[in-house]
Amino acid sequence: MPRFDLYQEEYHPSPLQNVWIEFKRSHLAVVGLIFIVIFLLITIFVPILAPYNPDLQNTNTLLLPPAWEANGTISHLFGTDALGRDVFSRLLYGARVTFGSSLTIVFVAVLMGVGVGAIAGLLSGVRSSIVNHLFDSIMSIPTLLIAIVVVAIMGTGLYNTMFAITLALIPQFIHQTRSFVKAELSKNYVLLDKLDGASSVRIFFTSIIPSMFELIVVQATIALSIAILDISALGFLSLGAQNPRIELGQILSQSLETAYVAPWLIALPGLFIFMMVLAVNIVGEGLRSALRNRFNH
Amino acid sequence: MIKLFIRYINLMVLTIFALLVLSFILPFLFPGDLLTNISGITPETAEQRKVLEQAFMLNENIFAQFQMYIENLLSGNWGVSSSSQISLFEEISSAFPATLELVFYALLVATFVGIPVGFLAGLRHHNLADFSVVTFSIVGYSFPVFWLALVFITLFCLQLEWLPISGRIDLLFEIEHVTGFIFIDIFLSGLEESKAAFKDAVRHAILPTLSISIVTTALFVRFTRRSIMDVMEKGYIVAAKSRGFTQWQIFRKHSFKNALVPILPILALQISTLFTNAMIVETIFSWPGIGNWLIQAIYQQDYPAIRAGMLVVALFVLTLTITIEFITRAIDTTKDETARAAV
Amino acid sequence: MALLDIKNLTLYMDIGDETVKALEKVSFKLQEGEIKALVGESGSGKTLVVKAIIGALPDYWRIKADRLTYKGQDLLNMTYEQRRQIMRREIAVVFQEPTSSLDPSVKLGEQIEESIPEEFIKKGWFWKRNKQRKEIAKGLIHKVGIIDHKHWLNCYPHEIPSDISQKIMIAMALASEPAILIADDSTRGMETTTKTQVLRLLLKLNKTKNLSILFVSHDLLAITSIATSMTVLYCGQTVESGKVKSLLKRPLHPYTKALLDSAPSFQIDLAPKSPLKALNGTIPSLQHLPAGCRLGPRCPNARKECVHVPIMRSIQDHHYSCHFPLHFSQKGKKGSSALDETQEQETFNLTNPAIEEEVDD
Repeated sequence: MPRFDLYQEEYHPSPLQNVWIEFKRSHLAVVGLIFIVIFLLITIFVPILAPYNPDLQNTNTLLLPPAWEANGTISHLFGTDALGRDVFSRLLYGARVTFGSSLTIVFVAVLMGVGVGAIAGLLSGVRSSIVNHLFDSIMSIPTLLIAIVVVAIMGTGLYNTMFAITLALIPQFIHQTRSFVKAELSKNYVLLDKLDGASSVRIFFTSIIPSMFELIVVQATIALSIAILDISALGFLSLGAQNPRIELGQILSQSLETAYVAPWLIALPGLFIFMMVLAVNIVGEGLRSALRNRFNH
Repeated sequence: MIKLFIRYINLMVLTIFALLVLSFILPFLFPGDLLTNISGITPETAEQRKVLEQAFMLNENIFAQFQMYIENLLSGNWGVSSSSQISLFEEISSAFPATLELVFYALLVATFVGIPVGFLAGLRHHNLADFSVVTFSIVGYSFPVFWLALVFITLFCLQLEWLPISGRIDLLFEIEHVTGFIFIDIFLSGLEESKAAFKDAVRHAILPTLSISIVTTALFVRFTRRSIMDVMEKGYIVAAKSRGFTQWQIFRKHSFKNALVPILPILALQISTLFTNAMIVETIFSWPGIGNWLIQAIYQQDYPAIRAGMLVVALFVLTLTITIEFITRAIDTTKDETARAAV
Repeated sequence: MALLDIKNLTLYMDIGDETVKALEKVSFKLQEGEIKALVGESGSGKTLVVKAIIGALPDYWRIKADRLTYKGQDLLNMTYEQRRQIMRREIAVVFQEPTSSLDPSVKLGEQIEESIPEEFIKKGWFWKRNKQRKEIAKGLIHKVGIIDHKHWLNCYPHEIPSDISQKIMIAMALASEPAILIADDSTRGMETTTKTQVLRLLLKLNKTKNLSILFVSHDLLAITSIATSMTVLYCGQTVESGKVKSLLKRPLHPYTKALLDSAPSFQIDLAPKSPLKALNGTIPSLQHLPAGCRLGPRCPNARKECVHVPIMRSIQDHHYSCHFPLHFSQKGKKGSSALDETQEQETFNLTNPAIEEEVDD
């Protein structure tokens, strides 16, 4: 043992690494992350993963129950639907559409929302506060309403509903980014940069974006869960993905006809959607806790 | 205070105006015949077409048309539905209160269950009860509403046969439509069977309300819990504890107000989600609300209906949200303009 | 009997397989009518001591103490309700940041009236009681030197300047007519005029009401102007304690000396533009606490024995905890001729029994 306990080489992880360390401490959050990765893999690799062609109708095996029931077979893991199509494959393809389109929606919404919000924040003025309040109000229009109007104008279909939901999600990103940028701009470290002669744009890219990153990520997880729920709801209402495109909400609406005899056709697609959203929410909650507690070491 | 009021009135006027403009433009954007889109009537002869064009001033400039539109709106002449040919005003005024009822009941549940549970969980946090509350709340707001409704139906209606599937009330009861709010109408109808009608209406209302209130309650719990946990760490709570107040005293005088007021705007935002969810659930339960009506309108491409319905719902939600925000700002004495409660 | 008697207060936390002691065997006594200063740098644990006394420690700290009593009642083992009662009437705390100790949504007048204990209001109709409350609040405000009470009592906390708010905090603390006032660094960051006012106020309260004050700070000027006795804390260990006069005249612990040296006002012979004296290094973090005397790595006098925690000795009520105190000869305590060692007390040293043999009787 050393005579005097001199200060050893201290390991100080960066704030970002601290977030990961804190995040890992919650096992639930890590499980959620694993699920998201699984869904991501499904989205990308489904043609390889699915055992059957989801559109293949097999009139010999109509309405087979899932494999764990008495009449089910292992070759159709989740059974078949009213047209003899394998439910498992359809769910995988549907998950791909649901998850993939939600990711795209959030991606586009973030890009546009953060972009516009940042510009709005950088160029300040009296008018911008009015615009801000206007956006606030637009934020509170029910998403279904926006979707209905868009569908009425542009017709049904996956891309139109994606457009509608993106429209509905953008205002909140604009709003959050704008308030964040405004708050940061009034802080002293930005003033120092300005006194050094940095232009607003430069300050934005070097100082503000890094700190905004965390806020945006948290917002994005919330937006992702909303997007998944909305896309599948619109699919359920037959306003979204249309045949032959397969989407989880749409599968659910098709299963309504056989609800009496085949309850699993209702339970399983909804379960998929539920698990997707749950995983996203768990990860989001874990991220938020991690960001809050990362310095408690 | 007056300044604040004026500011919010301005905002409200601006937003309403923006909505009206949007609603005015819609028929031009909808596919199909412009005239049908505006009036709901498909002109069959050239004569009829001329009459309709006159009525809606289609030959004049755009401002006159807009003025005509506003006048029509205010006088209750909202056109007719292109599919049912019934006055839109009538249809909406019978459908909208039904949705309002659902939203109102769900809001009641969310407020009187969600907020107290959130407070309790936040006050004694990081123990078993708190952990289960958090779990339930995350699970709760992850549910797709339509799936929850279907599961309930499968469970309670099809398998257990405890509750009815659709509608607001059994067709046996004929309740006169006075206000549109079924429970009030039952009271006003004065039928001998009003008690039975009441019970029946309750049975019909349970599942739809439950489906939408679970999601909203879970969100309320989450926001309240987080807010009160943030407040408990503040300096003045520690100072109050050091002055020897009991937990309950501190809560009553300080924590409650300071936790609730910052999250009121966020809670108000949930109203719009409530509306979305209510409208979805209506289609499943055949609840005769405006969501159901609008979805049918889209299936039938009933553009006048869509336009009118959208205007009513959007106006209502926006007015409500702005009012709540105004009230929040008015009673918030901390003047902390930059502090928006974190989620 | 001492009002507040703390002996060998240890605050520790188990992280993984290590035990981190934030406070190690802190001891001091607060007598009636005394103004005692608790001195130390930031990070020395002063606030933790205050929190331990008032019972506001986060749950992850564990306390162990030979004695932690108030007027003879053991604070550690009493029920929550008993402790709360003591905190309510007998002990009052004034915190550091006055604005953050006030509820931002409640008017100041209401907050002051809130801190008046029920027992002071005589029975009557509730409007009479309210009037009484307002009267008492007014009296309290005047006592702390704020004259325009009508204006200030109707303001919200974010609308008032910090000196007024600190005085209001003191007024709120006085509302319950406590026996002890703990001032946790309450003059930090104040401009000198305000500081003097507050200090003078504290002194007056001590003289007129016999209010004992535990003044926690690192502001030596303030301390020397009002405190009668002081305890110096370094990194969670009591380093030296005794009457202010004797510590000033002859500091026995190197840290106390360094502390006094670092305040320019105490050096009469400091030449202009000469470098300020300070100890090298900084306070160690909790993860890297030195073994034994925690000043070890920084102490100019440090030697081999300093790996063991020194025991607390005292000379005429001047306690110190050092193996090689100043003013003693190089050989150590044994055989020192420079001082009159009339009394020697020892406390039981848990870490190294071998040291006991060094102590004279």
